[in-house]
Formats: sequence, structure tokens, C-alpha cells
Amino acid sequence: MNKSKKQLLAGPYLIWIIGFILLPLLMIVYYAFTESDGSFTLENITAITSHANFSALLLSLELGVLCTVICLVLAYPLAMILNGMQIKNQSFVVFIFMLPMWMNFMLRLMAWKQLLAKNGVLNVFLSTLGLPNLSIMNTTMAVVLGMVYDFLPFMILPIYNSMGRIRKDWIEAAKDLGANNITIFIKIILPLTLSGVISGIVMVFVPSLTSFAISQILGGGKVLLIGNVIEQDFIHGSQWHAGSGLSIVLMIFVLISMALTGLFGKDEEGGTALW
Amino acid sequence: MVKKHASRLYLGLIFLFLYLPIIVLIVLSFNNSRSRVNWGGFTLEWYRKCFESQSIMSAFATTLQITLLAAVISTIIGTLAAIGISAMKRKSQTFYLGATNIPLLNADIVTGISMMLLFVKFMDLGFVTVLIAHITFNIPYVILNVLPKLKQTNPYTYEAALDLGASPLYAFFKVTWPEISSGVFSGFLMAVTMSLDDFSITYFTRGAGVNTLSTMLYAELKKGVKPELYALSTILFFTVLLLLIAANLHPEKTIAVPVKDEKAAKKAHTTYLCRRVASISIVAILLLGTTGVFLSSQHTKGGVRSITVLNYGKYYDEDKLAQFTEETGILVNYEEYEDPEEMYTKYKTGAIDYDVICTSDYIIEKLVSEDELLPMDYASIPNYAGIDPDIIDISASFDPDHCYTVPYFYGTLGILYNTNLVDAADVESWDVLWNGKYANDMIMIASVRDCFTPALRTLGYSINETDPEKLDEALNILLKQSPDVSAFFESETCDEMAAENYALALCYSGEAASAMDLNENLAYSVPIEGSNFWIDSWFIPQTCQDIDAVYEFLNYTCRDDVAMANFEYVYYASPVISVDENMDEELKENESLYRAVHPTEADVANCEVYRLLDDEMTELYNDLWARLKAN
Repeated sequence: MNKSKKQLLAGPYLIWIIGFILLPLLMIVYYAFTESDGSFTLENITAITSHANFSALLLSLELGVLCTVICLVLAYPLAMILNGMQIKNQSFVVFIFMLPMWMNFMLRLMAWKQLLAKNGVLNVFLSTLGLPNLSIMNTTMAVVLGMVYDFLPFMILPIYNSMGRIRKDWIEAAKDLGANNITIFIKIILPLTLSGVISGIVMVFVPSLTSFAISQILGGGKVLLIGNVIEQDFIHGSQWHAGSGLSIVLMIFVLISMALTGLFGKDEEGGTALW
Repeated sequence: MVKKHASRLYLGLIFLFLYLPIIVLIVLSFNNSRSRVNWGGFTLEWYRKCFESQSIMSAFATTLQITLLAAVISTIIGTLAAIGISAMKRKSQTFYLGATNIPLLNADIVTGISMMLLFVKFMDLGFVTVLIAHITFNIPYVILNVLPKLKQTNPYTYEAALDLGASPLYAFFKVTWPEISSGVFSGFLMAVTMSLDDFSITYFTRGAGVNTLSTMLYAELKKGVKPELYALSTILFFTVLLLLIAANLHPEKTIAVPVKDEKAAKKAHTTYLCRRVASISIVAILLLGTTGVFLSSQHTKGGVRSITVLNYGKYYDEDKLAQFTEETGILVNYEEYEDPEEMYTKYKTGAIDYDVICTSDYIIEKLVSEDELLPMDYASIPNYAGIDPDIIDISASFDPDHCYTVPYFYGTLGILYNTNLVDAADVESWDVLWNGKYANDMIMIASVRDCFTPALRTLGYSINETDPEKLDEALNILLKQSPDVSAFFESETCDEMAAENYALALCYSGEAASAMDLNENLAYSVPIEGSNFWIDSWFIPQTCQDIDAVYEFLNYTCRDDVAMANFEYVYYASPVISVDENMDEELKENESLYRAVHPTEADVANCEVYRLLDDEMTELYNDLWARLKAN
């Protein structure tokens, strides 16, 4: 089989790209820039500046950043500890920390709903200890907690993987040359794990920016993210043109956030480094 | 030493954070009490219910089918594509890789919506659309796993094989395949993982009656939590645990964690790979087999006729639906929605051909005005004779000639409150919602008209008010109240009130009655300023495919025993006269409960029925709602 014949193998995928990747994008662009009678408009895009939509977008960005930072702060030390463990079954321990990821994410949300409710498990536990009750259900705090819980593994994995690629002799060499732990961390570990950190940030920030189910279930309908507004437009309001406009805006924000993270480090392995 | 302990402690804390919720679910799954906090003894009851539940089992089967089909198809297309791409010139490679990145990087919600827009234009939403969507977001993962492996292979080995007379296919399987198989395999497993956990994309591309676990659970969670779901969580958790332990039994590093030392691992790799591929394919075949059996059993059970029913969530006894299929041989594709506007959108999209729909008064009025309904032949529904004529009279407000609808349930909008926390005198008036006495302890309904009703009635206006100034006044009341509101719920109210998480809730009568049935500290009141009286009715839309089957369904639904079963399932007032006659005496004697399951004459007289708002008013209400929610 020569090269040109080999290329034909990508044929089914080409059809798939055109039919199910590019065409849907065209559809959403078409809806975003037209009114229901088909005439051209920019109104669906500029609708983002209205008070309701803009505050939803701001809140999404705020919670997305908060969630990403918390995940990073929790995951980095964890990845370091896991990587440094001197035991046989290291990969098994890593799996223990990844396992919740394989449980359906709705079930994980359900668990938090049970834990955080006013008469929920956590408060009953706190009461028996004589501690004051926690009332964060239906607040942005509950939503952030849910996001962190759901997306934490996506931060742990890439960082852990990038740490695995640091060879022990480099660190020993640095030690021989008189570097202390802090210098080793700043000069060797941090730069070499940067690509993992970047992947982790993208993998946590994008879903938390665009999520709507978590805020719906843990926010009691009071936490309105941009994803909720879009869902509302499509499912409850039959305002597809407005919803498409907001989706385009959301896409732009996702692209901007990736460009920004891209500035800080080049991701050599492309998408595979995500895992 | 200190450092070691500190890191152990840190691991322990994160472990607790990750597993505490799961442990709680596991413990609750054995709890013989609906309560979340009291231990009522050990039971396996929820496991039995979980396996008996048609919706859980069919969602489970659908999830497996979609996951396996999508993973297999995307692995084939993706692997072929990767081989093709690797043989391409740089320019075409850039195009392909760019397109591959789109579903990877794009937000799930945008991918889902864009595909929905496409599907709605060209085909009916259903199993196939979900499958296509899953394949689309799976292929990139396969390509990105296979491509690096292909780059590592030495192209001359393959050519040497050809030179030595091997056919291209033989050379591929003897030379290339062993080198890339691990990449193909991890691509496949990643596709499985992504498919299993997907929610957003499935949510937007699914059709009537097609639910994966994620979308089924999302709908269920909005209705409150059933203990069966704890059992489901436990089963899933241990299945996953066992599978992963099995996958970890051999020393080779597993899928998600790339092999650290490629060369050393490679040797061990090939030998284990065969075993692993074999074992996984056995699992796959088994799963496909079981789901295949499930599918065929459904076909033989159902026969050819089927109807697609659209109804409110939690509004028809599942067992009675199954019984209908048993009695008539007509399969029911049952689809639910939460609020009337959602139903209107679902119907108007035209993506699914519904045969019969149940919804509220003013939406029916809207559809009548748009000429979307088929007239009913009441002679084909003998049991229609058992319907209360008074209710038929009232439904003239939205079906003037009474030729389009069959009433299903009716009720009022009022306040459900906890008698231990709320003074009964307080809930005689809507003021209780605005005076701040129960701040952060009350629930409103996530629906624009139901939220405006108390505000409008407090001001002495009609619930069908169209004067923008008066509506603004009402909005101000609601805006002032908004910081005091704990949550805007759709159908979780019953569950949350029964768990005593809140003091009072704006609530429909039947939902209130269901909660009162679970917790005797609850009571229901319709404030004196008046409220909304509503009737939900069945109608036949223009999209109906099999009108005779629909008549059979409606006749079945109006039958005394079925009406009674549905009444006991939802606790709304049934227009079927015999239901009220045969009701439990105990229920009738409980004044507060009876007021909720059967509106008093005084309440009915004091309430209004929602009327249709024109498009301009609908837009105004939507705008007011957005302003309220953005606060």
C-alpha cells in the first residue's frame, strides 16, 4: 500500500469532520447571526452586555478561576507526594485517587447534595460534636465545592504524569552540585511540570466555566452561570438564536483562556499530554 | 520523619474528601428508612427496587449500548484516520489535526447545542443522534492516542515486509499493528471513559425515551433523590473498583498513566497486551450480548405498535405504563419535562413526533390558538364518561368547545409549611413570603408565572395581569424577597420539605400532599388573597402517528383502577369521579391533607385559571424573570 492509498483511510473521518464537526459549527454561527426571520443581526452577540447575561458570565469566570486555583493548590502537592512514594504498587495508589472519576458524575453530585443539606449528614455530624451548622447548600460555595470534587482528578493526572517524566538522577545531580530543596523545586521540578499544570488548568477551567448541571443541582436555581442561561434559552425558552449568540461568546472566552494559558508554556505533546 | 507524616496526613485528607461522599451513598443504600440521617436498620430493599425500576435499567442498558458502540466505531474510524493522516503531507495534516482539536477543546455545552441544531434540521432526535454525537467527541481521543505510536514506528520495516512479498494487509497486521495496538487500546478505553461520563452532549442530542444514566439521573435529581439511586451508586462503584483492580493485577502501568520507562516496559508490554486485549474483548462481547438480549426481549414484548407520550415529570405511575403495554401490546415511549415552557419548546422543535401530550391550561390555549391540536373523538374513549362535568366546564376557559382535551389532574398553588417551624396563622396570607420572618428558610418555584402569582394577588391584581406597570410592582416585591429565598426548585420541593430542610415552600397541591404523606409535620394552605387553580389535560398534537393507540391509552388512563393508581402516585385531584368516592377514609378525615388532594369549593372560587399571554407579554414575563434571577 503506497502513501496516497494510505491517505484514503482517513476518508471516513473526512466525511465525519465535514458532517458532524464543521457543519454543526456553521449551524450555530448561522443561528447566532440571524433573527428568527432569517435576517442578519448582531443583537444575539451583543446580548451578552445585558445586565442578566453579563453578571452570569462574570460569575462563571469567577467560579471557574476559583475552582481551578483550588484544584491546583490541592493537586500539586498530592501529585508530588504520590510521585515520591517509595512503594511497589504506586500505580495502584494513584488509581485509588482516580477511581471516583469513573463513577457517574451525577451520582457524585447527588452525594454532595445529601452531605450539604440543612438536615444532611454533615450537619448532623457537626451537631453531635456541638459545632455550629454549615449552611452552604444553594450558594456559590456549594457549586464551587461540587466543581472541585468533580474536576480534581483532571488536575491530578496531568501533573502526576509530568512529574513521572522527571528523572531521579537530574535531581541527584542538582543535589551534588549543592542545590537545596527549594532551588531544586524552582529550577527543576516546577519548569518540568509546567506543561502538566497548563493541561490541568485547561482541563479544569473549561468545564467549570461552561458547566450548567452542577450549578443547577447544588445551587438550588439561585446560582445562574452562563451555561444555565444558554440551557434556559434552548430548553425552556425556545430562544435558539439568542442561545446560539451566547454560545459563540462562550466559545470565544474558551479560546481566549486557552491562548492565555498557552502563553505560559508550550504544550509539546498536544492533546495527549492532557492525559 | 515529620515530612513523611505530614504527607501521609495530606494524602489521608484528600482521600477522605474524595471518598466521604461515596461512603455516605454506600451506607445510605443499606438504610431501611427514607430519611438521610436516621438509621432505620439494614435492608436490601433499595437494591431490589433498583433492579425492578424500568427507568434505571433501561438507562443502564442504553448507556452500555451507546458507550460500546461509540467506542468501537470511533476506534475504527479514528485508527484508520490516524494511519491516513500519518501518510499525509504537512498541510493536510494541519487541517485534520485542527479539526480533531475542535471537539476536544470546545465546551461540551457548545458541542451539544451545535449538534442538536444540525440534527433537528435533518433527522429525528433519538438513539442514533446520541450515538453520532458520542462518536464525534470520541474519535479525537483515539487519533491522539494512535498518532504518536505511528510516529514511533519505523516505516522501513513495513516497506521491507512488502518487498519480501507480504500483502499490505498482512504486513500491516504483522508489522504496524503490534507497534500501535497499545495506542489503539488506550484510545478505546479513553473513548469508553468519556462516553460513560458524558452528560451535556447527550442531554442536548437525546430524543424521546432515550436516556443514558447521566441524563436519567439529572432528571431524577431535579425531582428529589430516590433511595434506589444510592443502591445504583454502590453497584456502580464496586463494579468499577473490581474492573480497575483486575486491570491493575499485572505489573504493567495502566491506561491513563503512560508508561514511564518506555523501553523497559515494552517487553513486558506485548505479552500482557495479548492477555489484556483478550480479557477486555470478552467483557465487551459479554456486555454486547446482554444488551442485545435486552433489546430483542423488548422487541418481542412490544410488538409493532408504539406511542410517544410527553408528560410532566413524576406524573404517571411507571408500573401502570408497563401494565398498559402488557394489556394492549402498545409500547410506550415515555418522555418527561419539568415546566410548561419546556414542553412547548420540545413540541415546537419538531425533532420528535409526539402522539399524546399532557400539559397545563394556558399552554393548551396557546396551542389551540396555533391550530396545533387534533379534535378528539370522545366516543372512542368510553371511560371519558366517568370524568367530573364541573372540571370539564372549567376547562372551557382554554378549550372553549371542549373538543381537544381530556382532563388528567387538577389542583391549586399554595404554601406547604412545616407546622413545627411555622405558625399556621402566618400562612393564611401571602405576606408570609415577603415579611422576612422565614428568611433563608423558604422555597419558591422555578417558574415565572407561579412566582408572580403570589406577588400579583398580594397587590390585588389578577394572575393574568398584562399592565407592565403593575407587573413591575410585582417584580419589586419579588426582588425584595429574593435574598430571603433559599432556592428555586422545579420538583425537588416534596423531597426537600419532607426532609425538613426548609420551613415553607410555594408549592402545587399534589406535591404538597405527597410531602405530607411522607412527613406528618407538614401542612398545606391556600392564602386568602387567592391563587392559581389549574387543570392539566391530555391533548393529541398534529404530529400524532397512531390516533387509535392514543385513544386506547387515554381510555386506559381514565379507567377507574388506573386513575386511582395514578392518584395515589401523584396525590393531585383526579377528575375521575370514582377516585374521590373510593378514596381512603383516613385521607378524607385529615383536613389539611384533603385540602391538598382535593381543592375545597371555597379555594376554587377564590382562585383564577392562567390565561394565555400573547407573544409580547410572554417576552415581557421572560424578561422580568431574567431580571429576577440575575439578582
